[in-house]
Amino acid sequence: MKIMNCPLNGPRNISEFVYGGQVKTMPDHTLSSDSAWAEYVFYEKTEIGLVLEWWLHSPSSYWFIAERHNGSDEITRTFAPEAIFCDRVDFKTSEVPV
Amino acid sequence: MSDDAGLRTPPTRLSSDYDGAISIQDKTHKRRSGVRGIGASSWLKQQNLAAPDTPNRIILADNKTWVMSLSNREYWVLEPHEDADTFPMGRDFSEDGVYPLFCQSSHRWFVIAGEAKAQMMAKLCGVDLRSENFESGAVAQTQLALVNCIIARHTIDDEDVFSVFIDQSLAEYTLEVLLDARQEFLS
Repeated sequence: MKIMNCPLNGPRNISEFVYGGQVKTMPDHTLSSDSAWAEYVFYEKTEIGLVLEWWLHSPSSYWFIAERHNGSDEITRTFAPEAIFCDRVDFKTSEVPV
Repeated sequence: MSDDAGLRTPPTRLSSDYDGAISIQDKTHKRRSGVRGIGASSWLKQQNLAAPDTPNRIILADNKTWVMSLSNREYWVLEPHEDADTFPMGRDFSEDGVYPLFCQSSHRWFVIAGEAKAQMMAKLCGVDLRSENFESGAVAQTQLALVNCIIARHTIDDEDVFSVFIDQSLAEYTLEVLLDARQEFLS
């Protein structure tokens, strides 16, 4: 059984976790081009190497970030999202087309 | 059918008495409530209820009330000796940053007691629940027979027990699993 370390709950069977996609910087949807938005929504990094990913510990509904090597599938570390996302991000709403 | 029939377990399936080395009780009809939010901890203090300092712990807040932390912002209040309120969240939530959790309705509450309880749970759960690794006061949010659950180790009337909380929609399946796992420990 593969084990992943949840930052809140400790080591748990991998069956308790749900993949949530790569960690990406969201562009300002009020200003970005369609292609930039599509890039953000649909495309992920495919080069072999370490990637940051969102994972959910399903029993506790806790989202966290894992660093995983997408070639060896080794999970090198996991940590709370507060380590990256410290501040609330607000986009301008006045420019949203009606 | 009585109004609270959904909260009662058919008496032929479970009892409060020991059956072999394991006792499984249904405390679903006993009182519990929850709070979540950035102000949840301070709200509990205003209610004269102590809250655990860290997630995944359960402490005795007064003589008969247990407070369980599921994160830094989520707490359940368990009162195993009191019947459920007619209105499950009969508390004042006028403060900002405090939101009610309807765990009285959302989760079934089983209490498992007996010397062999950790041994029985080892058949169903990947977390080591033996007392040397899962001491009294510990809480695990994990899976039981592939169903999401919360397991808390504490005491009720000085008896060491596991409180197991399961989503209502999966409780019947989980109860079948628990009863089946108990079979080999029957006297």
